[in-house]
Amino acid sequence: MLVVEEISFAYPGSPPLFDHLSLKAGAGEIIAVVGRNGAGKSTFLRLLNGLLRPDRGAIFAAGTPTAKLKINEIAALVGTLFQTPEQQLFAGTAQEEVRFGPLQFGLDKDVAERRVEAALRRCGLEGSGSVHPLDLGYAERRFVALASVLVNQPRILLLDEPQRGLDRIWLGRLETIIREEREAGRAIILVCHDMDFVLRNASAVLALGAGHPRLMETGAFFRDRDLVAQASVTMPARLQLEALLADRP
Amino acid sequence: MAGIAVSHLTFAFGDKPVLDNVSLEIRAGARLAILGGNGSGKTTLAHFLAGWLPDGRPHQGTVTCDGRPWTEWSLAERACAVQLVGQVPVRHLSGRAFTVREEVAFGPENLNLPISEIQARTERALAQCRLEQLAERDPFTLSGGEQQRLVIAAALALEPRFLVLDEPLTNLDPEAREHVLALLLSLPRDRAVVLLETSPDAALAFAEDFMLLDGGRITAHGSARDVLLHGCAVRTLGLPSIPRACRELGLFGELADSELPLSLDEAKELIKGAADARR
Repeated sequence: MLVVEEISFAYPGSPPLFDHLSLKAGAGEIIAVVGRNGAGKSTFLRLLNGLLRPDRGAIFAAGTPTAKLKINEIAALVGTLFQTPEQQLFAGTAQEEVRFGPLQFGLDKDVAERRVEAALRRCGLEGSGSVHPLDLGYAERRFVALASVLVNQPRILLLDEPQRGLDRIWLGRLETIIREEREAGRAIILVCHDMDFVLRNASAVLALGAGHPRLMETGAFFRDRDLVAQASVTMPARLQLEALLADRP
Repeated sequence: MAGIAVSHLTFAFGDKPVLDNVSLEIRAGARLAILGGNGSGKTTLAHFLAGWLPDGRPHQGTVTCDGRPWTEWSLAERACAVQLVGQVPVRHLSGRAFTVREEVAFGPENLNLPISEIQARTERALAQCRLEQLAERDPFTLSGGEQQRLVIAAALALEPRFLVLDEPLTNLDPEAREHVLALLLSLPRDRAVVLLETSPDAALAFAEDFMLLDGGRITAHGSARDVLLHGCAVRTLGLPSIPRACRELGLFGELADSELPLSLDEAKELIKGAADARR
């Protein structure tokens, strides 16, 4: 579904953030990208969605090299939930915000309306369609942004810290959506600082800033304590407790 | 009283009630966490604590600092007394600074302090937030976590007596989070720090005093255990990570939520106690 082949990237005048990085994410796979602030997690997502282009190497989205696609063509395949929802909201109401994508992609109006309604419903925003997105609370704004991504049914989903600042109810809603998207065969790339969330949701981990990044199965990553420390992430509470139980007399 | 006092504060955005009869006091040295779910009124309360509201909007009740309503304080006076760091760091950037160092200096410059004092405060705040290496960078090119440290540094450079932080740790990696927590805990004890949080773990790592805001009302106030394991907190925020992991692993199944260990050390003690009892 998503293939990253030997990409390298550096911001002008800065040392390389990525040097010959490769990975594959198949349908239904959830990859968590973890690492310290400034390790390049959000930059990696921008390379995947075409807002930045790699200096070398290639990225294939659903079999097509993204270098040959315009940004709107990439957006049809790769949907991005940015770290700060305010950065991607611009319409006068939540409904218009969510409707924007399908209309840009030339969807039939009735089909678009059905999709918009469904996306708002999945995101718990049935009653908020006519509200200005920036008049909504933090969690609702985030879910307007998520609905405007889901409505386009992209085959690859990029989620930048989607769990941040959500209470139990909204977090539960997010995890349900992630599970449904995985079951629908999307490839999901998740940037996340919350390792309990990673452990619950990700099938594999890509640690940045800890030597040459390589994809590891989630359990194997957390068993490699040196790598966990190098990546500057905390051990999930569940694994800390399991270690405690293993040591008990 | 000396400090910030909120008394019977009730406030609505239009016809949407946000705060309902909230009263609390923040004195020098407070290390207070106000927890609440999304939409519980935390951010609005933070704005009242820092004097950003009422902003001419109708409300009931009062918010005073040292006995005077915020509306009677000049902007400069208020900026020296209280600083608010909000959830979205990029919104706090002045837009008038080309570098991180200029952004941190922006506040002290606006207080018309002597240049030597501006420089001393700026360098101190940069060092406190480990931003020396980024001092010449454009603030808008920083990562989310780096911007978060920058806005905290800009607030610290004003040396406020009350620092109000609205979910300040969510953008930070664990190393930076530990550092910011240590920094907040190391502030002189005559400063008060108020943390508004959705995450029980962040509150637990910092605060000595805890409050729960639910539907605009303060529904619990007390120790970590009193508040974080309160039924309403568990329903809206979930359990903190250690008691949650206990439940996931089926540990201490006989205990009620309110009796679960809050930390790894408490869990260790309980496991040891259970082993001793078996012998």
